[in-house]
Amino acid sequence: MKEKIMVIEDDSTIQEQLKNLLAGNGYEVETVTDFQDVAGQVRAFMPHLVLLDIKLPGSDGFAICSQIRAFSDMPIVFVTSSNTDMDELNSIMLGGDAFITKPYHTAILLAKIASLLRRAYAPGQQEVLTWKDADLHLEGSFIEHEGKRAELTKNEVKILYYLFKHAGKICPRNDIIDYLWDSKLYIDDNTLSVNMTRIREKLADVGLKDFVQTKHRQGYRLKNQ
Amino acid sequence: MSGKQYWKNQVPVILVNLLGLLALALFLVAGGSNIQSIVFIAFVWMAVLFCYLMIACFLRKRYLDRLLKMAEQLEEKYLIAEMVEMPWRADEQVFYRIMKMAEKSMLEKIEEVRRDRKEYKEYIEQWVHEAKTPITAMKLVCENYRFDGTRQVLAELENMNRFTEQALYYARSEHTEKDYIIREVNLADVAHEAIADNKYLLRRFQVTVTIDDMGKTVYTDDKWIRFMLSQFISNAVKYRAQHPVLRFYAREEEDKVLLFIEDNGIGIPESDLPRVFEKGFTGSNGRARQSATGIGLYLCKKLCDKLGIGIMAYSEGNGTAIVLSFQINDFVANVQG
Repeated sequence: MKEKIMVIEDDSTIQEQLKNLLAGNGYEVETVTDFQDVAGQVRAFMPHLVLLDIKLPGSDGFAICSQIRAFSDMPIVFVTSSNTDMDELNSIMLGGDAFITKPYHTAILLAKIASLLRRAYAPGQQEVLTWKDADLHLEGSFIEHEGKRAELTKNEVKILYYLFKHAGKICPRNDIIDYLWDSKLYIDDNTLSVNMTRIREKLADVGLKDFVQTKHRQGYRLKNQ
Repeated sequence: MSGKQYWKNQVPVILVNLLGLLALALFLVAGGSNIQSIVFIAFVWMAVLFCYLMIACFLRKRYLDRLLKMAEQLEEKYLIAEMVEMPWRADEQVFYRIMKMAEKSMLEKIEEVRRDRKEYKEYIEQWVHEAKTPITAMKLVCENYRFDGTRQVLAELENMNRFTEQALYYARSEHTEKDYIIREVNLADVAHEAIADNKYLLRRFQVTVTIDDMGKTVYTDDKWIRFMLSQFISNAVKYRAQHPVLRFYAREEEDKVLLFIEDNGIGIPESDLPRVFEKGFTGSNGRARQSATGIGLYLCKKLCDKLGIGIMAYSEGNGTAIVLSFQINDFVANVQG
């Protein structure tokens, strides 16, 4: 089931790009274009999560937040350009779950959304990614194939996570490094190559030979067949 | 009040008295008085005049010294008119009224300037917040369509964001109000955020970033620290050498936590080092690159002063280390056990 996210934001470019970003990451997105009775629209769409700007035409984000809170406990993320402490305090007092200031990093925004959704709707669930009989366990940081396990380091888990998330597609090296930086692992090109070699050795040990393929000058890809 | 000047001012009085005395003496000589009684009268006259002038001088000096002391003790000297009592001498009353008038116009002027500055500060804050919307929009577009070109735009957007923040914090630093909230801050978290703010810039110049041993918490405002770290990062990139390296680490010392931001860049010449926190100081490196404004570090120093953080810069040959020192409050430490 696709999780539904409602974007309440008056800047049309941001609205459109957020929609692209979230839809690209597997969410169903609804944007608000008419700022009359926003809370009513939220109630009609019943999203799993709301992204809410503070400065809006009509009633502001704080008012909308308290209106939503009157009928639902859904996670509300305040996304705003004003970074005064008063606004942050207000948003927490009114029941906002997170406060992100513009310009935000999409990676951080996505991570925040994912963690809020997990906390609100699927607590305690362990995240396991599967591709071609290989299970990547994020919490335990190991990969399992036909009953054999290989322990992974932090860098290796993150690299594999990215490849699993984009399984079957070519992942450019630059994008992988970007993702690792977003995960607070500041590695460079050489380190990625070193990590990749080690991942391949570990995968071969559990019987996954050529599981990660190199596309010359393009990047890496999990094998398709 | 200088005595010499006082006696000079009394010359007309003395002259008039001497003239009066001369006239009296002539009158008495004409009337046939003997010389002894005239000398006696002259002596008494002069003695009385002298005593009067001495006592008047003494009282006057005491009064004026008190006024002077009052003015010296006053922090806002222009408020002296409020402290002075209405004098009884007619000419002084005129001066008193002039002083009152001057004070009133001064206060009005100050109020006007203060209001203008406040409005300007509010305008800058509002402007920065508005500028952030298009920056966010551009960033989102670039991140949704990522390739080499948009990565460069993203690096430039990070610079742009830093400049707008600089304007915001400059406006805040000028003002005396409190614009910060002190809370427990994990240094590693702030460093990660500051790196994220400059991710594409650091990636573009292939800076090797390491964060070691940063599990320390301090009591401060995280947004201000994040802004400062961003400034240091941009300096490290601007004055980089080959194979740039940037390292963050923290040390604990008696009653302080020290946060080090170290790079292996071109460093700061020893002669420039004492002046790097001065406003508008660009140093020989900055002048060579022509992109220095002399605002970044000056602003950081100012913000540090407001937050009670020590800031130092070290450089030996090559590489620069900026050190922020956070005081650990005894009270806080005790409460925490």
